[in-house]
Amino acid sequence: MTHPAFEAQLDAYLDGELATPDAAELEQHLRACPDCARLEQRRRAVSAAVREHVLRFPAPDTLRARVRSAVRADVKRRVQPRSYWSALAVAASLAVVAVGGWQAGLRHAASDALADQLLGSHVRSLMPGHLIDVQSSDQHTVKPWFNGKLDFSPPVYDFAGRGFPLVGGRLEYVGGRPVAALVYGRRQHLINVFLWPTEGGPTGGRPATTRQGYHLLHWTTPAYSYWVASDLGLPELRDFAALLQRGDSVAP
Amino acid sequence: MESSELERFEAVVLPHLDAAYTLARYLTRSDHDAQDVVQDASLRAFRHFGTFRGAGSAEGRAWLLAIVRNTAYTWQRRHHGDTLTTAFDEERHSEAAADEHPEAALVAQGERAALRRAIDELPPEFREVIVLRELEELSYKEIAEVAGVPVGTVMSRLSRARRRLEEVLCATTEDC
Repeated sequence: MTHPAFEAQLDAYLDGELATPDAAELEQHLRACPDCARLEQRRRAVSAAVREHVLRFPAPDTLRARVRSAVRADVKRRVQPRSYWSALAVAASLAVVAVGGWQAGLRHAASDALADQLLGSHVRSLMPGHLIDVQSSDQHTVKPWFNGKLDFSPPVYDFAGRGFPLVGGRLEYVGGRPVAALVYGRRQHLINVFLWPTEGGPTGGRPATTRQGYHLLHWTTPAYSYWVASDLGLPELRDFAALLQRGDSVAP
Repeated sequence: MESSELERFEAVVLPHLDAAYTLARYLTRSDHDAQDVVQDASLRAFRHFGTFRGAGSAEGRAWLLAIVRNTAYTWQRRHHGDTLTTAFDEERHSEAAADEHPEAALVAQGERAALRRAIDELPPEFREVIVLRELEELSYKEIAEVAGVPVGTVMSRLSRARRRLEEVLCATTEDC
């Protein structure tokens, strides 16, 4: 066996991928040739060093959540491909038919449409490349990122200590104005927090809505209109909402 | 899509997200890109899950990794306008290792850093065979399927990749 032939087969031999007769021939050569034996030792050491020193990267929990949510959103889109539009159509026809209290009906339809829009934003955010414009678990990175992009500076908290780590933020366009979207994680789930100043933004909406397996919570503070969207269980989502409300109430 | 199909997908494919993310990290050399690549690839895998004929966990892994690999190459072309051969990122490897034995640690640290850097500087087709073989312990046949090349090509790429890493280790440890 020549040296080039030996080297060409050496890696396959070390990986247990060489056919038995070839492996036997190679071993015979190894015993007779000290140079090749040294080469074999060195090559074995490389493989061992790579396995010892080179990093595996476990998938972050937020990635698992994104994948899981994206796949589930895909199922829902296929099952109800027209749900968004049909919901809008229903809302619109409600407004037209409700002659008696048409103004109330219109307001209701508008807040329903707003909920639809936010739900759409939430689902879209779960698609690849849409979740975050600024990726950081540091509130002091996320908050300044909005400077110059919004006409307000949204309060940003990190609740990692409470099991809701901050993942990042992005801009959204809701009800005719740019708004802040903050993303939090909870185990395999993601939470979108949409907020904008109460004055001058779209208003109205039910405190809690469940649609297509997603929960939407809504409240207003003197300063901001809040919407929270997630597929997280309702009790936990309410805990999260309570954290946000507490954060706001003690903020300077 | 039946919900049982979703369950089967979550059982067969999702357990391999660590492997998928590791491969994507090595191909894109960026956490952010790797996450997007894996999410994109998973969604593609889900949409084509009907064509997946395998049953076992190993088959699910190779199948997902093949999609991740192709997605990573496409992603890089689309978003960075080049192939997966951009410059080495110094920041990623400036981690501090605290071992119990300072002198041994120093050598190991040098060796480790040199090795990681050397893998990052390998051409992507060499880098991927190293990751698939050494970290994921795929067979040559599985690697051939993931990379879309014949087994003979896998063998020669792996051999050349290891030879290059061997040179780096020799230079670091001066022990050859």
